[in-house]
Amino acid sequence: MTRRRLPEWFLLLLPAIIVIAAVVLIPLIFSLYSSFTPYKLTRPSTLWKWVGTYNYEKILTDAKFWAAFGRTVLFLTIALNLEMLLGLGIAVMVNKVTWGQRTLRTIVMFPMMFSPILVGFQFKFIFNDNIGLVNNALQSMGFNAALPWLVDGKLALFSIAFAEIWMSTSVFAILILAGLFAMPRDPLEAAKVDGCTPWQSFRHITLPFLMPFIFIAMTIRSLDVARAYDIVQIMTGGGPARRTELLWTLMSRTGYVDARMGLANAMGYVSIILSVVFTIYFFRKLTAARAQIGMGG
Amino acid sequence: MIKSNTLRALLASTAVFAVSESALASDWGSFDGVTIEAKLIGGQQYEGLYGRIAEWEAATGAKVDIISKKSHFEIDKEIKSDMAAGTTSWCVGSNHSSFAPQYEGLYADLSGLVAAETIAEFVPGNIGASTVDGQLLMLPRAQFDVSVLYYLKSNYEDADKAAAFQAEYGYELAVPDTWDQVKDQAIFFSDPPNFYGTQYAGKDEAIVGRFYEMVVAEGGNYLDGDKKPIFNSDAGQRALQWFVDLYDAKAVPAGTTSYVWDDLGQGFASGTVALNLDWPGWAGFFNDPESSKAAGNVGVAVQPMGSVTRTGWSGHHGFSVTNDCANQEAAVSLVNFLTSEDSQLAESAGGSLPTRSAVWEANVAAAQAGDDPFRAESLAAFAKGAEFAFAVPAIPEWGETTNIVFPELQAAILGDKTVQEALDDAAEAVDELMRESGYY
Repeated sequence: MTRRRLPEWFLLLLPAIIVIAAVVLIPLIFSLYSSFTPYKLTRPSTLWKWVGTYNYEKILTDAKFWAAFGRTVLFLTIALNLEMLLGLGIAVMVNKVTWGQRTLRTIVMFPMMFSPILVGFQFKFIFNDNIGLVNNALQSMGFNAALPWLVDGKLALFSIAFAEIWMSTSVFAILILAGLFAMPRDPLEAAKVDGCTPWQSFRHITLPFLMPFIFIAMTIRSLDVARAYDIVQIMTGGGPARRTELLWTLMSRTGYVDARMGLANAMGYVSIILSVVFTIYFFRKLTAARAQIGMGG
Repeated sequence: MIKSNTLRALLASTAVFAVSESALASDWGSFDGVTIEAKLIGGQQYEGLYGRIAEWEAATGAKVDIISKKSHFEIDKEIKSDMAAGTTSWCVGSNHSSFAPQYEGLYADLSGLVAAETIAEFVPGNIGASTVDGQLLMLPRAQFDVSVLYYLKSNYEDADKAAAFQAEYGYELAVPDTWDQVKDQAIFFSDPPNFYGTQYAGKDEAIVGRFYEMVVAEGGNYLDGDKKPIFNSDAGQRALQWFVDLYDAKAVPAGTTSYVWDDLGQGFASGTVALNLDWPGWAGFFNDPESSKAAGNVGVAVQPMGSVTRTGWSGHHGFSVTNDCANQEAAVSLVNFLTSEDSQLAESAGGSLPTRSAVWEANVAAAQAGDDPFRAESLAAFAKGAEFAFAVPAIPEWGETTNIVFPELQAAILGDKTVQEALDDAAEAVDELMRESGYY
């Protein structure tokens, strides 16, 4: 009697398939299913009530959700660009250092080592209108007013962007520095011989070579910032008056405080669009940048 | 201060002694070998009571395993996750009158498990606020909250200030008895950014609770009998206008819209706020030179009136027993012990307010006979304030409505919307929620 045997490759992959199914696939399917129900954490029976696309229709017509969506895109654009510029500057400068570079690299990475919650508390205190460091410094310099850093819409967005940038610029700096280390010296020396200015060498040789590294950092950080939660929740909680409400502060309040997990999951699936669009955009840019420096398409 | 501390220590130790006597004398039952799992609210002011659990264990032979101890907001999330996962076989949970209606089907109706004469020993209002849809979901502990007015006494002892106020507002400067007077005085006392007339909670449930009690004080209500939102009435608009006017006049700190209880307590303790509506737990903190720059200068008065009645948003902590508990009899015994007269005497010796009538009387009598006039003054204010106390609407959606309403209140305060626009928008969204929840 011959027994049908499962192919070896499948047997070898089976443990990985089981683990991935348990920790990724099943929760994903479950959350997708629950987004079509009025699932409330406090009423488990609501999980079995199918409401079709009700949650999605509600979200599509909800101005508050789309305001948070737009604000997240704005926050992402500002934070990502500034982090890239600052990270590029830091990397180029660190690359020039010939003595103590390793120590400097470690110091550059310090902000990344803090927990986002700690960073949130730190900047919440720094920007407090009454007892905060910034206002006290301004007042001691003769500026007799208490600037509402975490209340005014623009100032509040600036404050949370400042905290986010402070913590994560080093991600760009380290990745770009890795690019600089990997860069061949010959084109730069050839440019010098040909009489290029330092700016021309940077603009036409260094930067194109660094672009793939920059786009990889952009992709990673865009996924991070699109899920920005800890710092914003601690510093402003999305307020006041929804002025700093981002997708994840809205989603977490809907899911865990209001206990409306079905609706929150639907919001999660709609907001994935954001991450998918940014990822596709950056990967296209990455491919183009690699082609430009002759690393294939 | 040292004297009063000694007195308190003596009172507390006497209470503990009396309690240990009574723990042995009272019949808490015998539950040898039983282990009761409990999820309790954690925090400095709540810990004293848990120290007494050992006495109940000794008296009954049972063990208490505290499987979770967190702030109420954290424990609320954990309980909701438990309900979703079906892991609700633990027995005793900390509860709060504002949270209780959310946990449908989780907790047992104690009216059938606790003796009627025991229930009658509690303040009827507290039992009412612990009852949802006719079910007594928790027994109240000595952590009753209603807010009264704390003020800096020095502002009322300065003849020049009094004369200037009289000239500007046309009436005598005295501790305010109405919210209109609070507004006048707050604007008069303010000298931003160094000194503010008052402050208020500016986000989450905190500001909605404050707004809710103002609406009631103005003669309106939050929801009608059918649970339809009616806070956008004239009374509601007057209530919200009070918050807006103070913000516009810079009589409150610019960051007040991000403040909740700790920020407010620390603000008043910094001595830079003249008038502060706040909870009983802060009384000792405000008058303690170690923690407060306002110490020795703090007065306590009954909460002011709106145009119809006094504000009085209140809530209280309690203990509940789950329906899934394997040994409900032992769990009920533990809850009875934690809310007993002796437990409440011991817990309220730390300054919190009791929920048993006899303990109220004992505390007021002890304060009047003692040598701490501040304690006597604050207890008298809270005893008077408690007469006007009312709880939030007992519906599971209360918390969710506050998440809808608070950003709209903030929008009006910050000038993004007019008072009417903000309240109409909030009422429309709450109306949709109530419809979805099947109320009408």
